[in-house]
Amino acid sequence: MYSEKVMEHFKNPHNLREIKDADGIGKIGNPTCLLPSEKLHKNSECIAISRLKKNKMVLSHTGNYEKVIEAYSRKYNGEIIRLKNKIGSVNITPEHLVYSIKVPKGDMFKRNFGKKTLTPTWHHAQDLKKGDIVLYPILKKEEDIKFLEIDTPKPKYDFRSKNIHKKVKLDSDLLRLFGYFLSEGNIQEKPSKTYISFSLNLNEKNISDDIHHISTKLFNIEVKIKEIPKRKTMRVYLYNAQLARWFKSLFGNGAENKKLPDFIMRLPTEKQKALIFGLWKGDGYVNIDRHGPRAGYATISYQLAQQIKMLLLRQNIVPSIYAERAKKINGVSHKKAYRIHIGQRESLKRLCRILNVKYNPTSYESIRSWFDKNFLYTPITNKEIFKYDGIVNNLEVANTHSFVSESFCLHNCGDVMWVYIKVEKNKEGKEYIKDIGVKTFGCVAAIATSSMITELAKGKTLEEAKKITRDDIKDALDGLPLIKVHCSNLSADGLKKAIEDYETKKGKR
Amino acid sequence: MKLSNDSGEGLENSKNFQKIYLDNSATTMVDKEVAKAMQPYFTKIYGNASSLHQFGQEAKRALEQSREIIAKSINADPKEIIFTSGGTESDNLAIKGIAYANKEKGNHIITTKIEHHAVEHTCKSLEKEGFKITYLDVDKEGFINPDQLKKEITDKTILVTIIHGNNEIGAIQDIEPIGTICKEHNIPLHIDAVQSFTKTEIDVKKQNITLSSFSAHKLHGPKGIGALYIKKGTKLNKLIEGGAHEFNLRPGTENIPGIVGFAKAVEIAKQEDCKKIAELRDYFIEKVLKEIPETKLNGPTKDRLCNNINITFKFIEGEALLIKLDDKGIAVSTGSACSSKDLRPSHVLTAIGLHPAVAHGSIRFTLSKYTTKEELDYTLTHLKKAVKELRELSPLWGQSEEELTKAAYEDDHEHEGE
Repeated sequence: MYSEKVMEHFKNPHNLREIKDADGIGKIGNPTCLLPSEKLHKNSECIAISRLKKNKMVLSHTGNYEKVIEAYSRKYNGEIIRLKNKIGSVNITPEHLVYSIKVPKGDMFKRNFGKKTLTPTWHHAQDLKKGDIVLYPILKKEEDIKFLEIDTPKPKYDFRSKNIHKKVKLDSDLLRLFGYFLSEGNIQEKPSKTYISFSLNLNEKNISDDIHHISTKLFNIEVKIKEIPKRKTMRVYLYNAQLARWFKSLFGNGAENKKLPDFIMRLPTEKQKALIFGLWKGDGYVNIDRHGPRAGYATISYQLAQQIKMLLLRQNIVPSIYAERAKKINGVSHKKAYRIHIGQRESLKRLCRILNVKYNPTSYESIRSWFDKNFLYTPITNKEIFKYDGIVNNLEVANTHSFVSESFCLHNCGDVMWVYIKVEKNKEGKEYIKDIGVKTFGCVAAIATSSMITELAKGKTLEEAKKITRDDIKDALDGLPLIKVHCSNLSADGLKKAIEDYETKKGKR
Repeated sequence: MKLSNDSGEGLENSKNFQKIYLDNSATTMVDKEVAKAMQPYFTKIYGNASSLHQFGQEAKRALEQSREIIAKSINADPKEIIFTSGGTESDNLAIKGIAYANKEKGNHIITTKIEHHAVEHTCKSLEKEGFKITYLDVDKEGFINPDQLKKEITDKTILVTIIHGNNEIGAIQDIEPIGTICKEHNIPLHIDAVQSFTKTEIDVKKQNITLSSFSAHKLHGPKGIGALYIKKGTKLNKLIEGGAHEFNLRPGTENIPGIVGFAKAVEIAKQEDCKKIAELRDYFIEKVLKEIPETKLNGPTKDRLCNNINITFKFIEGEALLIKLDDKGIAVSTGSACSSKDLRPSHVLTAIGLHPAVAHGSIRFTLSKYTTKEELDYTLTHLKKAVKELRELSPLWGQSEEELTKAAYEDDHEHEGE
């Protein structure tokens, strides 16, 4: 399979070592990457891959969080594939691996029960097509908390607000209140007073009653209600500065920044139902009389929308998420909003059970997405290919070697290479590579190409070294098997990165 | 390259260079006795078993004697054994033969996620023809759950096909309860016993087996010969057309030397050998796990093929390790994706829950009755060296010791915006 040259370099690799005082270091992963803006699930929030650094925890395809061992970025000029499913989209390089099921042609697989027998594995993005199934993990870790501590101290000069218990029971009442707050509440911070207020419609008396009931029961605080008939709204005020600060520390303030703390995301699935109830009564709707019955939720907080997605998946409810651009309607400006829809029959049934809404559909509906213990299975709804020239990113994740974007499970391939160079000036005053070392993880081809790049680069001036191409490496090794050619890309890119690193460091000096 | 001598030891006894064959699940060395038994059937008794003259009749006698030996070893009737070209053909004939013969009855077949390609790809091809296939899950050690089998059976189910001893991870399925379930539902049960034959008990009556595939070259017999056990009264379509050989199920002149060799190999296979191999297996597993850090045994600890060892070496790519060992004369195999044609890792390793990246570093060592403790010690020495060398090249390894073990949880807000 391999040429003699390849075997020679594999058996006796040259310069495969670290150079401790290297002038430039090029770190490179397998050339499969994401656009920098792609958001990944980190503990408690979704952040752009370009902002993820070493040692952060990211969600992996197992539904557990794993540590980032290394973060990479590189220049890329070529095709990017954009895959879409119900819960979002992702932009990745064509060779990136996606946890998925390729659905064979034929009638057998038109319905889900045929597809269910197929085994999921990692497929290259370019090999996937519309209709193939992708897997998305359900959060694994469950941790029940019986009591919460109200740990925000009472301010020194606060003489007015009532003393409240340090400990509060984390039960369905409190979770419902959290839900109402996330949907309708905000914190007012004025010099003289800090309090929680809820904005409700005049016809939402059942909610104001419930808030009143929970507030008196848990905190022994009566709420004040003010009706504004002209705007058809009412305000529910919960006057307690300490409580207000506690809510702010838990959920953030301002509708745009609201998010759920990690411990709530980890509560048992049964318990989370009360939270979903509260959320939905606030900003959600259920319309089962409409021709295509559906339910929805809208928020202007990106994080909250992503977290609600995770909460719903745990309940085996399939959401679809749309981002709605900022717009003006009747002179009122609306901020960019995220709309969550639930339209699938089984999902809607489950949601209605949580919300105590009667819904008993009788007609048959085909199912496109389904769940098992660990995953949501949902089809790719669109695939686009476009040209891109710019930075792309990838991560190396411990143990599972995978991470989870808004809507897809992605793999980071194991090949990793670090190139070290020492630079000095030659007699003509040109900078040249005096010494070079490579560390590499991979197969025979990866090791042989690493060894060969050191041979090719050593002694060359930086300008000459920059011109070494993947084909040069391949030819010097008397060729590589077709499926191993990508290994030579890695070495060439690694050397370029090391030189770039040297030049930036020098520029800074 | 030096070839192994024919003393039956399978290795050169020179001090500096050994050749050690630890890939006995791929194929085995033909036993000297087997080769000797086959010899006359090439040059002396070369008749066609279908011919009526003496040349033919002598071959026919050898054929029937061989059939009897194999039948007896699994408690079957000689009329229930037909000879084929090997395990793959037996699997194809059993599965497709049953599927086509029972088309009116139903179109549902149950199998597992850890089948050999001979079964997996046969099922996939039937799937394209409109059959429905259910792939049973396996647990972390590679065992199916008979309760799941019970649940998946429908009135359209026409066949259950299960791998007996798995070729990659060595899990031996408990066939008796599976056979009982199939018998209760009156569904034929096919087992792929290519790896397990002569290594663990097969009793077709006790275990309620309807069909079973065997191959000679996995048990020190010759290549190109296998057998299929078909229980009396089982409806089966033949796949190729021709003469009325092998009870009108498998046309083609019988491979008499192969068949005689196969029977000889079965005859001389001993339970004691298996016990000895299992001891060596456990010795090697214990040594590797103890002496090489970051290693993990794949597959079960109990109910494992006596000759199968499958270990993951973290931070190493299997193909690189395989070639390193080969350089020292040690032959092993890997489940790494890099060594496969489509860069996809083994479906068996992913079915038992291994992540593709971990499957990358898996190596399979399969022993035989010729394997010695000295050979394993030699292997261990070079394995340790090769693993160390490859890990030293790897940028991930250095990190693993210093950084990966640090507490993994760290809040990040203060680092943001660097």
